[in-house]
Amino acid sequence: MTVPGPASSTVRLDELWKRVGAILGSDQPLSSRIAEAAVLATGAQEATLYLRDRDAWIRTGEKSTQPLSPGEIPEPLPEGIFRRQGELWLPLCAEGSVHGALRLLGVSPDHPPEDEANLLAFLLGALVGAHGLARQVREAEFELKARLLELESLYDLGLSLGGQLDLSALADEVLFRSISLTDAGKGSLVLFDDADRVLLERSVGGEILVPKDCLEWTLPEGGLINNEAPSDGMRDGGCRKYLAVGISVAERRLGVLAVADKESRDGRVLDFTPTDARLLSLFANQAAAAIETARLHRDALEKERIERELELASAIQKQLLPRDLPVVAGLEIAAKNVPTRQVGGDYFDFFPLSRGRLAFLVSDVSGKGIPAALLVSTVHAAVHLQIDEAKTVADLISRIDRHLQRFAGTRKFLTCFFGLLEPDTGVLRYVSAGHNPALLWRKSGGIEKLSATGVPMGMFPNASWKEETISLSAGDLLCVYTDGVTEALNSAEEEFGLDRLSRILAKDGSSSPDALCRMIFDEVDAFVADAPQYDDQTLLLARLVG
Amino acid sequence: MSESCKVSSERRGDVAILWTDGYINNQGGEEIAKEAYAQLDRGARALVLNLEKTRIVNSIGISILIEVLEKVMDKKGVLAFCGLTPTIDKTFRIMGLAQYAEIYPTQEDAVRSVTTHTA
Repeated sequence: MTVPGPASSTVRLDELWKRVGAILGSDQPLSSRIAEAAVLATGAQEATLYLRDRDAWIRTGEKSTQPLSPGEIPEPLPEGIFRRQGELWLPLCAEGSVHGALRLLGVSPDHPPEDEANLLAFLLGALVGAHGLARQVREAEFELKARLLELESLYDLGLSLGGQLDLSALADEVLFRSISLTDAGKGSLVLFDDADRVLLERSVGGEILVPKDCLEWTLPEGGLINNEAPSDGMRDGGCRKYLAVGISVAERRLGVLAVADKESRDGRVLDFTPTDARLLSLFANQAAAAIETARLHRDALEKERIERELELASAIQKQLLPRDLPVVAGLEIAAKNVPTRQVGGDYFDFFPLSRGRLAFLVSDVSGKGIPAALLVSTVHAAVHLQIDEAKTVADLISRIDRHLQRFAGTRKFLTCFFGLLEPDTGVLRYVSAGHNPALLWRKSGGIEKLSATGVPMGMFPNASWKEETISLSAGDLLCVYTDGVTEALNSAEEEFGLDRLSRILAKDGSSSPDALCRMIFDEVDAFVADAPQYDDQTLLLARLVG
Repeated sequence: MSESCKVSSERRGDVAILWTDGYINNQGGEEIAKEAYAQLDRGARALVLNLEKTRIVNSIGISILIEVLEKVMDKKGVLAFCGLTPTIDKTFRIMGLAQYAEIYPTQEDAVRSVTTHTA
């Protein structure tokens, strides 16, 4: 506080103290009152009050916002009054400590007398001491409020994280509060997935801070590292001391929360306190619970999404399969599709044609779920659009392939057995696009394999397929299936296999297609028992009757 | 969040608006104090601190803000905050800053209020 002095400094002592008392009792800030009182008491032209703030000096009054110039305050400051280059200095002491100093300008060399100056310094020192005490009370109050803030933050964080399912927002919330309440200069939070890969990183104040020990999951008991300097291999962001704690649920490590370089008002880096460590551990515990909740919620949502997708895919696929089997003179037909929980995209269909002919197909598309169901839908549309236009079976397959190349995108393909059967003549024309070998059971004995006549459809541009022709005799039975049947796995991961299917045909090939169909699926079911199946199973049986 | 707190300001008559961007810690607090004191020395009678780009404040930053507030009060000025996150809002209320400085949801509200005070 700098206060200009009065025109005259000749004031009677009793009058002086009366006026000083009035000044001290005014509603001016204490620093102003002290400087003003000093001017009045000493007849100085100007008075500046300096106060000690911890280890630093601050100038009060109008020029308080301007920095001190070098040497403005003598260091060390003598304990008693002294004069320096026309200035009278009154160190203001109380309880054995220097709380402030008054610099008086424009005082005469012999005024005030030393005893009066000492008395004034004593009285004002007591006032400044009281001011210092008040400051200490304020600081204690500040500390109490800071502790209250910690408690409130823990409570708020619990409430906030309880409903927070967004991992990113959750990480920010935990990190910001941790840095704020430990007075850290920087900090970071890293979360890992189940395979210990970094799932999410957040940092404040610089590079992500990841203690090497945390990455290697060798944190000490309690998962806490306190006041250590960064070690080799640590992404430390240039920090000097850090406090890190693991975030874990039960035995599972979820991440690491770290803060570094605890700040002080004077710019030093302090040690983190046990309170800081306890606070960080509490935050980490709350974070772990919230992260686990968010993860479980995310998993549940994902599961629900997959369930919905599978239901939709299943509905699409079901709608595309024929509701009834065609009745065609000279043929006995049976067909069955058993979809798995993960829709695999099997498709079969019949197309009754002119002159009593029957076209049919059994197909297995790549992929599962919605993509597979959409591809089946595309194939279904293409076959129904092209079947009347195609001149031959091979021509039809080529047309469908071109349609797929154009509309089905990349990495989508399917295997397909497409047959055209003429019951009148027993002639079967077929194309097998990379499909499992169909089996032809001859009534006369033996089983023939009708192998692939070309590559799967949708796989290569400009592919072509060979059309084969074979004659069936009365009683012969054609068996077309998807790999879900022959590759059905039991709990020992053994496949049902083509041999088992062939053996059933060899033994019971003369049974009606319906009965044989039930028999084959019963055998497959018995073979796999409780083992879960991941592929659709489709079977189509057609017998030429005489 | 930026590595260090940046402070910018604009003068509207007697009112100085200060925007912070980043962590209000020791460094951030000092930046604010420097700018606030410069504005006070240039005659500003009211300060509006817009903290909408600040998401963290620590106790060192708060103590510096209290010092700024005391300086403003010494000069019989007024200080107002706006754009606080709910966490910082609660922090200021618990730490006593809200006792002597008003908190407003928007900058417009804050400027309107302090302008009335300085009129």
